[in-house]
Amino acid sequence: MEKIEKNAKKIVQKVKTLYGNSPDVNSRIINIKGKNVGIIFLESSAQASTVSDFIIKGTLYTKENKNIFQNIFEALKNNLFNSQLFIINDFNEFPYYLSSGFTIITVDDSDKAIVMETRAQLDRGVTESSSEPILRGSKDSFTESHSKNLGLIRKRIKDPNLWFDELKLGRRTKTRISIAYINGIADPQKFKKIKERLNKIDIDGVLDSGNIRDYLIKQKSIFPQIHSTERPDVVSQALLEGKIVIFVENCPFTLILPTVFIDYLHTSEDEYQKAGNITFTRVLRVIALIITVFTPAIYIAITTYDQNTIPDKLLISLAIQREGVPFPTTFEIILLTAIFEILRESDIRSPNSMSAAMSIVGALVLGQAAVDAGIVSPITVIVVAFTSICSLIFTDIDFMNGIRAWRFIFILAASFLGIIGILSFAIIWLIKLASLENLNTSFLAPFAPFYKEEQLNTIYHAEEDKLITRPKYISTLNPHRQRRTK
Amino acid sequence: MKKIILILLITITLTGCAGYKELNNLSIVTAVAFDKKEDNYELSFLIANSPKAQTSSKEGEAKTTVYSSEGKTIAEAAKKIEQIVPKELYLGHINVVIISEDIAKEGFLKIADWLIRNPQTRKKFYLLEAKDVSAKNILKIVSPLESFPSQSIATLIESNSESKAVATSVTYSNFISQILEEGIEPVLPSITIKGSVKKGSNEKNLETTEPDTFLALGPLAIFKNDKLKGFTKEEESWAINIIKNEAKETNTNVKYKNEDISIEASNLKSKIKIKDTQNIEINISGTGNIYNINNIDIEDYKEIEKIEKAWNKELKEKLNKTIKKIQEKYKSDIFGFGNKIYKQDPKTWEKIKKNWNDVYFPNLNVKINTNLNINKTGSLNKTIKGEKS
Repeated sequence: MEKIEKNAKKIVQKVKTLYGNSPDVNSRIINIKGKNVGIIFLESSAQASTVSDFIIKGTLYTKENKNIFQNIFEALKNNLFNSQLFIINDFNEFPYYLSSGFTIITVDDSDKAIVMETRAQLDRGVTESSSEPILRGSKDSFTESHSKNLGLIRKRIKDPNLWFDELKLGRRTKTRISIAYINGIADPQKFKKIKERLNKIDIDGVLDSGNIRDYLIKQKSIFPQIHSTERPDVVSQALLEGKIVIFVENCPFTLILPTVFIDYLHTSEDEYQKAGNITFTRVLRVIALIITVFTPAIYIAITTYDQNTIPDKLLISLAIQREGVPFPTTFEIILLTAIFEILRESDIRSPNSMSAAMSIVGALVLGQAAVDAGIVSPITVIVVAFTSICSLIFTDIDFMNGIRAWRFIFILAASFLGIIGILSFAIIWLIKLASLENLNTSFLAPFAPFYKEEQLNTIYHAEEDKLITRPKYISTLNPHRQRRTK
Repeated sequence: MKKIILILLITITLTGCAGYKELNNLSIVTAVAFDKKEDNYELSFLIANSPKAQTSSKEGEAKTTVYSSEGKTIAEAAKKIEQIVPKELYLGHINVVIISEDIAKEGFLKIADWLIRNPQTRKKFYLLEAKDVSAKNILKIVSPLESFPSQSIATLIESNSESKAVATSVTYSNFISQILEEGIEPVLPSITIKGSVKKGSNEKNLETTEPDTFLALGPLAIFKNDKLKGFTKEEESWAINIIKNEAKETNTNVKYKNEDISIEASNLKSKIKIKDTQNIEINISGTGNIYNINNIDIEDYKEIEKIEKAWNKELKEKLNKTIKKIQEKYKSDIFGFGNKIYKQDPKTWEKIKKNWNDVYFPNLNVKINTNLNINKTGSLNKTIKGEKS
């Protein structure tokens, strides 16, 4: 802690030096009855009009007031119009407030400073979610503004037990991190652990929730063990289930802990649509998951090792299709899958205006022409296209990439060992998934370990009035979410 | 991690790529024919995936290819085919196996041994007996309705055995089990060519609305042990299938009041009851549906009852006749009466086993009880003439 000097002019000079005489450091000295009042703010992050309207005006008003108080500091504190006003007495806190868009007022003969909120609107407004689009449900999504994000949750959950625990991370960025949970529902053990892990972080900068995610996981895995979403309704749902949500300043993506595998097969829409139809949709998602992981591998295994399993007519037609293709099946599959992945990656990175051209090149040139030229067989294109479409069902990009990695593992296993390879690696995969655990919650819960009561909302989705309890594997406090009605 | 890599390396290097086959390096054999040429065996393979299949629209070009070769043994002939076929022969998808009369008369087990020893072949293909023509020629005939000859034979058999009761579908595995089982002799459906082979093997055969040449299923071939004894007549094969409980539906004709009435029999069931080693009872039940009738007033319930009686009588006579003929002419227990005795009384069977086919079976008293009911008269309740009045 560094004491604030009792000379306003000197303080202004000190701040300017601290910022290396950057031009956006603005200051003004107003003399009231022989005492200097220093006003400092950063033109870049503060709203200059707010500073003039409320602070300069207020100060000058105090100056002209005949009933002048002995203590100018107290007078200013009481007379300035602003909802956010703090008193600080540590010079080291200056940069944080200045960079956040606050204005600092210092007075001669006082070792305290007044800090007032004069932030400029540097972030966009609340817009529709682009990464998790839905048909039914609220459309808003989180933004880069920390307080707006918290507000979007408060707006939904008006219970005062919705608590935010704030800490600052990043030696240079001083990013605000808020841990949100509902007191009385969330497991305090889990909260304590999360806070411990966050407190251990000593890093120069936290720019995104992705920066801190790895610190919150104990076991390494290619699958994300923390669900990340930009939808306030998903976060609110998670909070009501007893989960703990981490907000990071300047990042629209929140982290939800603990996350289990089945969460990736759910969407927020599931809760809003008819339960019976959702069960069907979820079964489709599970099928899509199996297809997207195994199809290329199974195709390789049965066409190169176990031809006996293919029906006669199909085998003949496959054999004729492969006639003249110069590459082995495995190479063909890997080639096409890689091309698709590159297309997907470049589609994300390229500006919108170019995506039309890219889809033409991708579909016509690479798909059609490759088949016509005899580089790949048509069935391979079908297999890879089908696999890729199925993988697009999942919105979480990390989850999708995890699946992709395992798909390649299975392709290699199948090309060396056939069906046996797929089976043995499937067992390894299951073991790896089952061994994952975070915050005392197993990744495959509620299937392994099996919770009978939680099966009402896993793949099967019961009607809303049947979902009486909260998931037990997340928190056992306050287990009932609704009264049983007749 | 090091351990995992080690395990992976071991599994990969140990198994190698032993079973690895690319599809385009395979010649998929879908049908096999066995013939005898003087002292040699002639083996023919029907290969389905010739690249020509892609451009099958070309005039006069067959989609499939038949390769054949001769050899002292079947294995030798097979090896010779491998020398002329540029790709690896793949026998995992054999659909149909056709054997010629010569080979069947000599005994089937020689061929069976090769088929069963080959690890690639599956044991569920249809087995047929070529009647009057060589087995190889049957592979050559192209059918207008199916793209591959083997497929056309397979569908022909399947549809026939299910509804028409003329042929039975005999797969390789149940043929072998009938050879090996006690007290039952195998039968095989036969197949023959109607028309000229030369025209039938040309793709032009597909372009006419009335194909010159086509494949037809013939009567059943009767075996004793593994050797061909002879062919039945069509009506007899029909009777055999009813007795063996393999026909569920069939079309029958009844002569009643000088008119041939056509009745579709369905839900046919046959139960063989063993009384003792001399007496056997067969109970046949089923329902009938009148398909074709012209002059008889079937609104009268009593008329239907009379038709029913005539139907029962005629069927009984036909079945009796067939059983008699097989008992006397072939002396081969294709119905499996002996098998029933063996299952009921294995000790007695041990004593009569040796002479069963030659002594006991021909002298068996077979009593047939039929219980057939006509319960439907199609979509009409009367005859068309009756509707008028």
